[in-house]
Amino acid sequence: MTPPDLAASVNRKRKLRDGAILLPLFGAFLLLSPMITLFVSPASLFGLPSIFLYIFGVWFGLVVVARAMARRLDLG
Amino acid sequence: MLSLNILIVASLGYAMMLFAIAFWAERRARAGRIGWLRSPLVYTLSISVYSTGWTFYGAVGSAARSGFEYVTIYLGPTLVFIGWWWLLRKLLRVGRAQRITSIADLISSRYGKSTSLAVLVTLLAVIGSTPYIALQLQSITLSFSVFETGGNADLTAFWVAAGLAAFTILFGTRNVDANERHHGVVTAIAIEAVVKLVALISVGAFVVWGIGGGPTEIFAKAPPELLRGDTIFTARWVSLTLLSAMAILTLPRMFQVIVVENAEERHLATASWAFPAYLLLMSLFILPIAIVGNALLPAGSNPDLYVLSLPLANGQNNLALFAFLGGFSSATSMVVIAAIALSTMVSNHIIMPLWLRFSPQKTETSGDVRTILLRSRRLSIAGILGLGYLYFRITGGSGALASMGLIAFAGSAQIIPSLIGGLFWRGATRTGALLGLVAGFSLWAYTLFLPSFEGSFILSQSLIETGPFGIESLKPNALFGLTGFDPLVHSLFWSMTFNIGFFVIGSLLSSPGPLERIQSSQFVDVFRLENATGSYLVSRSATSEDLFTLAQRILGTGPAQRLFTEMASHQGKPTGLPDATDKLIQTLERELAGSVGAASAHVMVSQVAGGGTVSVGELMKIADETAQILEYSQQLENQSHRLERTAQELRAANAQLTEMGAQKDAFLSQVSHELRTPMTSIRSFSEILRDSKDLKLPDAKRFLGIIQEESERLTRLLDEILDLSHLESGRGHLPLETLALQDVIEKSLNATSALLEEAGIDVRLELLNAPLVVKSNFDRLAQVFINLISNAVKYGRGDTPTLTISLATKNDMAVVTVVDNGPGIPVNDRKKVFEKFTRLSAANLAGSAGLGLPISREIMRNLKGDLRLLSSREGARFLITLPLARE
Repeated sequence: MTPPDLAASVNRKRKLRDGAILLPLFGAFLLLSPMITLFVSPASLFGLPSIFLYIFGVWFGLVVVARAMARRLDLG
Repeated sequence: MLSLNILIVASLGYAMMLFAIAFWAERRARAGRIGWLRSPLVYTLSISVYSTGWTFYGAVGSAARSGFEYVTIYLGPTLVFIGWWWLLRKLLRVGRAQRITSIADLISSRYGKSTSLAVLVTLLAVIGSTPYIALQLQSITLSFSVFETGGNADLTAFWVAAGLAAFTILFGTRNVDANERHHGVVTAIAIEAVVKLVALISVGAFVVWGIGGGPTEIFAKAPPELLRGDTIFTARWVSLTLLSAMAILTLPRMFQVIVVENAEERHLATASWAFPAYLLLMSLFILPIAIVGNALLPAGSNPDLYVLSLPLANGQNNLALFAFLGGFSSATSMVVIAAIALSTMVSNHIIMPLWLRFSPQKTETSGDVRTILLRSRRLSIAGILGLGYLYFRITGGSGALASMGLIAFAGSAQIIPSLIGGLFWRGATRTGALLGLVAGFSLWAYTLFLPSFEGSFILSQSLIETGPFGIESLKPNALFGLTGFDPLVHSLFWSMTFNIGFFVIGSLLSSPGPLERIQSSQFVDVFRLENATGSYLVSRSATSEDLFTLAQRILGTGPAQRLFTEMASHQGKPTGLPDATDKLIQTLERELAGSVGAASAHVMVSQVAGGGTVSVGELMKIADETAQILEYSQQLENQSHRLERTAQELRAANAQLTEMGAQKDAFLSQVSHELRTPMTSIRSFSEILRDSKDLKLPDAKRFLGIIQEESERLTRLLDEILDLSHLESGRGHLPLETLALQDVIEKSLNATSALLEEAGIDVRLELLNAPLVVKSNFDRLAQVFINLISNAVKYGRGDTPTLTISLATKNDMAVVTVVDNGPGIPVNDRKKVFEKFTRLSAANLAGSAGLGLPISREIMRNLKGDLRLLSSREGARFLITLPLARE
């Protein structure tokens, strides 16, 4: 068995951590910037207004990504 | 319609159930069977104490009035929680390492354990939380009123407050140590979290699919301004999101459940996504409920109560009762946790210091203090709930739930600059924190809190409308002429501007005390410090990576990787980095000591692992510099080694040259002496021949013979000198051939046979049968043998002269021994035989210039062999060695 490459795993962890810091910033960009106005339109999907879908979609997406990251961060 | 009695019975029954659960959980924890009581799920559910009665009722009201705005209250905490790694994790680690008991304790501890800060934050927390607690009481009384049971609102609020005080005192003050968790309370809160979520979703599902006709129909009914962009993305939208993000960190009850009640840091990893998911589910149905309520319920209905009134209006009494219990849960859980958190702060930071100062007998036995602490906490709980009740009575239950909640948020958010600054900025000082907090809270109170009483408390109505003394620019809701903003945004802007400004400028202009310095590094560098309170603190910290990086810098990647892999397998971890245990640190220190010296290694490792204020970044810089210096000094060392070697070589060469010069001198004098002898005789005999007139012919012939002989000797001497210098200079490259030694010896004996016969020497040969094949030069080798044989003839005459030549092999070398039985060479002269022009003793034979042996030895050395004189008792014993030919 070859020893695991520690330098690579440290590097991977560092990237994961950078991601963990960037995720809330990205979330803030999606929810607290004029980005949000792009989705304020009368258009709707499945009877739901686009803004409703956008806010809850982004929210759900953040939860999913945070979950994936939290598992990896916790394991490390 | 549900009667008051049913409601009271349901509430009491529900409360009894919570008491029972709390009691059971407490018992279980006491017995040590903590198990799932301390699971990530319970932790996450306990954090949902964030959603209070305000959320349960007020969010729908907010949605009915301003559409999507309610979402911001949940988006802020969502962003904070998904960014847990950056902020919450640090907060938790600090809280654990410093054994923090409350938000006031945290701020005070960070800024040099300042009492004034602790008191300040405590007072502000109490002031900020009072409207919030009143809000919960209001939401419960409102929910009673929906059922139109005719109960007295004040009385309801009183009994609710009293019941909550009893519950909190019973389960919240069981032990003194705030770090000992309140298992009973937290379990009850978790159950309440489930009840309120299920209740809200049930109502939502009923509203959407039961009476609303599905989402499509509901949103079709939505007023168009609800979905307009300019009503959604506004300054208020951004402010509220940021405000709620700040509040989740600083609200006393949130700090209590997130930091103080946290059992294990890794629970945060689960909560980081599970709590936002919980909030998402809580807020999913709020807008549809609001839309349907606006559309279906008669005008004038209180939108804050749509959750109850919608099921009631549709005859769903049981669902309404369930929703009522959900709202009851939300409100009570918040009050209980807030009361615990605030009572801890009040008793620890206000009552205890006062009691210690003024207690007459100054008893400091621990039992006594314990009792005092418990009593002060119980009193504080009662006092805080009393204040909440008082606020409720003063404001008369006026104001929408949401705006009251936001006032409390804005108050507690004032702690944020000191908190974030304290966690990440080493230069933040106590003075800065005090100034910032006072400025922020003053402006919050002036621009938001006091005006919320609408003239009935401190600020009069006229002052609010025209400014103090009629100064327009000091109007509480248009400070410095800033108009056109929502009062909340306006207040938040000014309070935060002054708060942050005073905090930063105050910190820059003041210098921290010694304890402050220590605490600031304990907070800012919490992940880099190994705390003495247990390995838990380091086990999951970044320290082992820092150590690895440090090791990599100093030891190199390969050795560092080997060392860490080995340590990891020692710890039983098949992959990844080892835990930063003391052993690892010691081992690493030892390893590093080999590279940078023990003292530096200790400093470096203890900087990473232990105390000290140097950051890892700075340390890396040191390490890099050290590595560079190390490399440089190694280069220097190598260079000086080289120089030393050269100097030594030069010294040796010089000595050799000096010796050679001396030899040359000796040689020249010898040569001139040797040349002079024949020259003298030649000159004298030729003078005789010239000057003697009566010289007889035979005499003349004899003289001429002598002259010729001397000339020949002179020529031979010069030939030998040339030959020797040629050999010595190493320029005489001798061509090599494969030959048998026996042949050479035979040839030499043939050449000297006349000489040997004349001297009557008995030659004994001990030659091997097989030819001894060597790679050598035949003629030169023969020259050496002839020289040795003639030497033996000249000097080695015994009684019956014998000459023995024997052959042997030894370690790839052919060995020829030439022995005579003459008198031998005296010990003193043995070294001289190989010196030029040495004539041993008196024995001297004409025809030899004494260069035979030196020439022979030079020949042998040129043939990669040697000629030595062996010590022996009788006769001269010469040893010739030369390499055997390889196959």
